[in-house]
Formats: sequence, structure tokens, C-alpha cells
Amino acid sequence: MKYDSILETVGDTPLVRIAPEVHGLPNIDLYAKLEFCNPFGSLKDRAAWNMVRPGLGSAVEKGSQIVELSSGNTAKALAAIAGMHGLGFKSVTNRMKIPEIKELLLLLGAEIEELPGQSECLDPTDSEDPLTLFHRSLAEPGSAYLHTDQYYNDRNPEAHESGTGPEIVADLGGRAPDWFVAGVGTAGSSTGVARALRKHGPEVEVVGLVAEKSDFIPGIRNIDEVQEVGIFDPLTYDTIEKITSTEAIDGMLTLVRRCGILAGPTGGAAYFGAVRHLREVAPRLTGTATAVFIVCDRVESYLSYIKKRRPDLFGRQRTSASVGSLSPEDASRAAGIGVAEAQEWMAKENPLVVDMRSPYAYAALHIEGSMNIVDELFEDLVRGGLPFSKARPVLLACPVGEQSLKYAALLTRLGHPDVRSLAGGIIAWRDAGAPLVRE
Amino acid sequence: MVAPLYLEPKLDPPLTSLLASASLLHRLVDGLGSPLNVVVPERFAENVTRFRSVYRRHHLEGTVYFAHKANRSSALVRRLASTPAAVDVASLEELQHALACGFTPDRIGATGPKEPEFLWLAARTGATVNVDGRSELEALAALVHRHGLPRTQVLLRLSDFSGPAVRILTHRSRFGVPESELSALLDAAERHRDAVEVVGVSYHLDTTSLEEKAVALEGCVRAMDECRARGMRPRVIDIGGGFGVNYLAHGAQWEHYTSQLALAALGRRQALAWRNHSYGLSSEGGTLRGTLQLYPSYRPVAGADYLDELLRSPAPTLGRPLATLLLENLYDLHVEPGRALLDQCGLTLSRVLETRREADGTHVVRLAMNADDCTLEEHGILLDPILLRRDRPPEAADGSAAPFGVYLHGNLCLESDLITRRLVFLPRLPAPGDLLAFPNTAGYCMDFNAHHAQRRPSARKVAAYRNADGWQWRLDDQYWPIHSTGDADEI
Repeated sequence: MKYDSILETVGDTPLVRIAPEVHGLPNIDLYAKLEFCNPFGSLKDRAAWNMVRPGLGSAVEKGSQIVELSSGNTAKALAAIAGMHGLGFKSVTNRMKIPEIKELLLLLGAEIEELPGQSECLDPTDSEDPLTLFHRSLAEPGSAYLHTDQYYNDRNPEAHESGTGPEIVADLGGRAPDWFVAGVGTAGSSTGVARALRKHGPEVEVVGLVAEKSDFIPGIRNIDEVQEVGIFDPLTYDTIEKITSTEAIDGMLTLVRRCGILAGPTGGAAYFGAVRHLREVAPRLTGTATAVFIVCDRVESYLSYIKKRRPDLFGRQRTSASVGSLSPEDASRAAGIGVAEAQEWMAKENPLVVDMRSPYAYAALHIEGSMNIVDELFEDLVRGGLPFSKARPVLLACPVGEQSLKYAALLTRLGHPDVRSLAGGIIAWRDAGAPLVRE
Repeated sequence: MVAPLYLEPKLDPPLTSLLASASLLHRLVDGLGSPLNVVVPERFAENVTRFRSVYRRHHLEGTVYFAHKANRSSALVRRLASTPAAVDVASLEELQHALACGFTPDRIGATGPKEPEFLWLAARTGATVNVDGRSELEALAALVHRHGLPRTQVLLRLSDFSGPAVRILTHRSRFGVPESELSALLDAAERHRDAVEVVGVSYHLDTTSLEEKAVALEGCVRAMDECRARGMRPRVIDIGGGFGVNYLAHGAQWEHYTSQLALAALGRRQALAWRNHSYGLSSEGGTLRGTLQLYPSYRPVAGADYLDELLRSPAPTLGRPLATLLLENLYDLHVEPGRALLDQCGLTLSRVLETRREADGTHVVRLAMNADDCTLEEHGILLDPILLRRDRPPEAADGSAAPFGVYLHGNLCLESDLITRRLVFLPRLPAPGDLLAFPNTAGYCMDFNAHHAQRRPSARKVAAYRNADGWQWRLDDQYWPIHSTGDADEI
């Protein structure tokens, strides 16, 4: 297929059936709407392009900057669209919680502004709540912004009312599904799709998913936060159900590991929410019914998010050449050496002095003649074997002598005959008045 | 009658034990008047230990400075003097008080806006001065020269740190010198090197955000580097306070309550506060607008745990955990907690004067105190007071043993004098003569705003402590650490 612009590939995403043995629901055909097949990677591509389009001409003319309150996929799509048209893009956000998305935005050339955190000493008369600050900055004289306003802009749900929704209906042979399940973020996709589906089948049941208040699922708001969304109307949904990040990741794992659908946590939440909601009703059905949920984006951007919550999924094998593998006997065999003694030893035997602090700290002050191998790097080096000749003694130094002692033990176990650890570390060295240099 | 929405306070020992001694508390208020503030020095010392253990865990050196302004108590400051902690003073009077309570000047830091007299006494005695800007540095140096004072140790207070690639729109601060003007400040410090010695840099950010603080801390490490490059030997990074307190026992109650506040602001449920006050929220065409103007009363990570989490956070550009960054650059860490050190260290007692039923079914409880005697509301902290009944068995057969929604009115002739505008739910209706105990008021909510309007005396304060005979008390200014035996500790 040939296109003149990547923007022509927005929409027309596949609807893929989930194998019944995976979801285990009797009498139900469950379909995933794969919105990650959009060109910039998420369902937000549709809304972003639809919201930007009317103002684009004059924005290009004036050289305006596109601005949006977003910390995720909308920002990603808008940054790409802005770049294509020679415009700048600024993302204003409470906090970029997903480091991969933040880095991707910087790579796309976006400018990121983070709103301040909540004040510790409350000032009830403070007029500078973060959103007020944001809206004021849009109205500053001489400012040329194209604010897409995704939480209020009706072109956000409209993109789904005219795109996502009708596509689902067409793929189901002109029928609306019996259930539609989606996470509620800006409420744009759920509102738009619900409108379209109800035109074809008013009895479709729409399930909106929101997060627990103390929890965080990317792209899904909690029950209070949805109230701040202009597009959000509780009447859109037949049910609003809560979902946790643990459930979202469980759902995601099923899609990723059993369905070959590399969905992110939002898609996982929708899958989990759909199965949970349908589990009760499915056995009571007499005929076959259909349900559709949305897979918003792909998993790759959320590796650190998942790692933080499920470190077990990334379990790394311990090698024998790591400090974690040291036995108490190994550790007790390590030799520490006090500052005065170390100075004497250095003058007599000229050991290799290895400073394990970061290059930044090393550059600021260090023991003259020492070399710098930061602990993280040292750990990698040692995994491959002894990085020093056995012919020369080694003195390891870290800030307080704790880590260096472990590594001295490890090097000793790996066969080095004379490794010592500077007892009390560089701090003891300084406190003893021994010389530190800055070169 | 709406379903009760409780916000039960978090209560730890020894406050739990003190609250169980209702008859003692009644006798105290009988003798000393309402309202009455009670401080618990024993717990204060324990909180210092909690902060110290975070230092130990990260192998960090440095000092915990108590921000004196959070409470005027003598008993607490005297008790602090017998712990390893230091004190941060923000006025001439606080400096005099700290000296009188047993602090030697090497354990005193002077911060905040300073008059010449304050600067003189700090420099004369040898306290460390946290310098707010170039003009203050010049004024201090001039004082030292003119009056032949000893060379004064100073920390340079910085602000407006910039993060990597991302601009953080931090609230504008009244204090400190923008990081970008550090060079000019160091020029001045070098010019006056005979009068002042730069021992480090500091910041204080009024935010609960760890990320903002991580940016500032890394900015301080870079600033220290600039000092070192000029041949100075600074050792201290002072990261100020703002570690927070968790006031509530149950996160679920807080989450439910704030959700209900949002619904009330949207008009989807009955109001939850006096005259439909909605704590900063409003409805605009059915959509919620505004920001909740409340302290996050439930905070799963607060105080020493917050410091621990900050120290575990990575430095934004250098990548190392902040504790490691401090350690390997050989810097001492100073912190200045106020509220967090006073967690669970006191309560405010008030006598119930009158209970009245309103037409809408709610009740008004009039208290012998006013909103400025106990400023939980001023600080946006929502928690339920504890009812201490007088001379009555717990289950009186007067039909009052059902939850009641009450408004707590103060004793000033002001429409606005409510202890809290929130409709407070109590497990039963109080009667005149009962006490309401507002727990955990020692940090900023006890005497920071107290005044003498209507010629009313300000609340008395007592220090409560335990010995073999149980709870004992002394007037705040009659308490010295020798009185609470059994929890002596060394520096």
C-alpha cells in the first residue's frame, strides 16, 4: 500500500478475536481492537490528528507552538505531527511517570514542562494552582499557541465516533457488539465509540474502567480525576468499574504471552476488566454474544513501569562472580586496612588504588595516583573474571569501606592474592587528614 | 442525616496512653483552662532517633535540625538539647530561647529573614548562618568587621534549580538566590573570606514532590563543586524540611472522603461543610474545576520514611541514588524537619460549652477555643477530634450513642470562627463539660497563630511525661529533661 503521508495511515486498525480457550468465557466472542497499529503507536493518534487539523493551517502561518496537557500518547502523537509541519510542541504535565515516554518525547523534539508538586505548607489563599498557571501561560500576550485541549475538545470523541466506532461495527458485519469495554482517560475514545455503537445497537452495554485512587495505570484516570474531564459524562457508561495496576499487568501478561498481542498495561486493564465483567453473565447467555475491548498501545514503553511492580518477571540469574553470591566465610576473609597503614603500604608496595565512586565524585576529589572504576562497571567487569594482574596488590576504596570490602572478598575468591579494602573509605581518609587531590 | 464520614486520626504511643487517661486530662483543663496544649517530649526524642536511623542506614554524616518555629514550647526544645539533634532558629527570640534551653552555638543554625541584632547574636556566639542572599552576606561581613566578631560559618541558600531537559514550573519562592546567580554570591564570599567561611549550600522547597527535591539536591552538589573549584572546602548540603506527617489512620477513609467532597462540589450529594464550602473545588457545567486546597492528610510515606525515599531516588542527571551521591562526594547532609519531628508529640484540648440542634438535623458544638488556638483547618489538615466524656459511663442511656454530624464553632464573635468548616462526625453527641481532644497539633497547629483577640488569654501549655507512677505533668516552662527519667539519652 502506498501513501503520501504517514497521517493517511491513522485508523483502520484490526479487530482480532481472542481465542476462547484463553479467556475461558462460554458463549462469548471477545475481540481486541488493536489501536497500537496506528502509526505513532496508540489510539491517541486519531484524536491528536483530528484535534490539530482545523487549526493547523493558521498555526503553520503564524509558527505557533502546539501545546497539550499530556504525559503520554497524546503528547507523542502531537509531537510527531508538529514535527511533520515544522511546528514546535510543548507537553505540560503533572509528572512524567513513564521514563520511556519522556525520553521518546525528547527524542521527538518535544519541550516538556512539569507542573509543581503540592505545597507542603498549605496556603489556602494561593491563586497559583498548577492548572491556573498553565491556562494563564496560554493567554500571555504575544503567545502563539495551538492548544488542542484534549480533556474538553469535542473533536477528541468525534475522532472515535467517526472512526473507531464505525470500524468496529463494520468488522462485526454491521452490528454493534453487546459489550464494549475501555479504560477512561480523557474519556474521548469511550465516549466517541459508545456514541457510534449506540447508533447501531442502542442496547450495547458500555463498561468504563477507572483506577483505584492510590494506584496508577498509565492512560487511566481514577474516580475523582475523571470528574475533572470536560468530555466525561457518567451517563455514557452503563457501569464504571475499578481496576488495579496488578490486574492490568496480569491482563497484559495474558495478551502478551498467550495471544501474541504485545499490549501495554492499559490494554491489559481493558482485557482484564472485560473478562471480569463477563465472567458472571456469560454462563447465563442462551446464544453467542460479542464483546470488544480496546488495546490502546504497545508494551515496550512500559518496561520500567512493569519492572517496578513485578520485578519477578525480569529475574536475572546470579552468577557466581557477583557480590550477591558471597558466603559469610568469603566475606570474613576480606582484608580491611586502616588509613595510616594503607599510606605506608602504598609507599612500600605501590598497590593499584581503585576508587569505586562515580566519575563525578572522583573528578572532584580523589587519592593521587588512583584510578576510577565506578561500582556498577566494576560489577560487570568482575562477572567476566579477574580484571587485574595477580602480580600487583590492589587497594579498593569506596565512600565508607562497605562495598569495597565485599569486592575485596570477591576478588580474593576469584584468586587474587593481595586485595585490601580501605577501611572507613574515602571519608575516613579525608577525616584522617590524608591528602585528596583535584586534578 | 447523612451517613457518617469518619477521618480517624493516626494515634501512636505514647499519645494513645495519654488519651486513655481522660480523668487526668479533665483535671488539667479544670485547673489550667480551655484550651490547653499538651506536649510529649518523650516522643519528640524518639522521632529524632527515627531520622538518625535513616542517616545510619545510608552511612551519612550530618545533623538533624529541628525547625523551632513549628512550636514555641520550652519543654520540647530542652528535651531536644539532650538528643543528638540541633536546632534551626528563625528569629532573635528563638536564638535566645535555644541558647537558654541548653543548645551550644555549634548546634544552632539561623535561617529566615534576619535583623542586624539577630545576625549579631548568631555571629557573636558562633551559630551557623543560613544566608538568604548577597545583601545579607554583605551585611553579615560588615557586622563581623565592625564589631570584631569571630569568622562566621555560613550556608548559602539557593533556589530555582533547573532540571535536565525538562522545565519544572516550581512555585516562586521568597527565599534564596537563584542557582544561576551563585557565581556572584561566591565572588562576594571570597571577597569577605576573612569574615565568613562557606561551609556549604542549602535549599528549602515548599513541595511534596520528590522529583523537584532530587533536582535541587543534585543542583546543590554541582554548586558545591563550584565552591571546591574556587579552593573552598565546603562539607554541608542542607536540604531543608518538608518531610510531612501522616495524620490519618486509614487511607480508605481519606480517599472516600475526598471523593465525596468532589461529588458535593459537583452538587451530586449533600454538602460536607459549613455553607457548602468545598475546599477549593467547584463545578463548571458539571465538570470538576479547581484544586483540592487540603494538606494530604493521609500520607503513606512521611517523615523519616520520606527522607529515606528521597535518598534512594536517583539523581536526575548523574543517575546515582542521592544518598550515594552525597556519600561519595564526601558531603554531610543536614535536614530541617519541623512538623515531621513533632509527629505524635502533642494534642490540644478544648471544653465543650454548648450543643445545639439545628433545623437541618445537624448539631452545633460550641467550644471554649477559637480557630487560631488550633490551626489544623488553616493548614488544611482534616482529622476527627476525640471525645473525652466527663463523669459519665461510656454507655449512657440518653439515646445519644449514635453517630452525629456536628459543626465545631469557636468562641470569637466572628461568623468565620469555626474550628473546622467540615461537618465532623462523632460517634455520639458531646455534652457541655465534655472535652474534645485534637491530636497531633504540635507541628504548627498549636501556637503559631495564637493571639489575644477579645482579651482572651492564649492557651497554657503543659509537658506530659511518665514515670513509675504513670503520667505526670509540669507547666511547659517548668519542665527540664531531668524530670522524665527512664528515657535519658546521650549525644
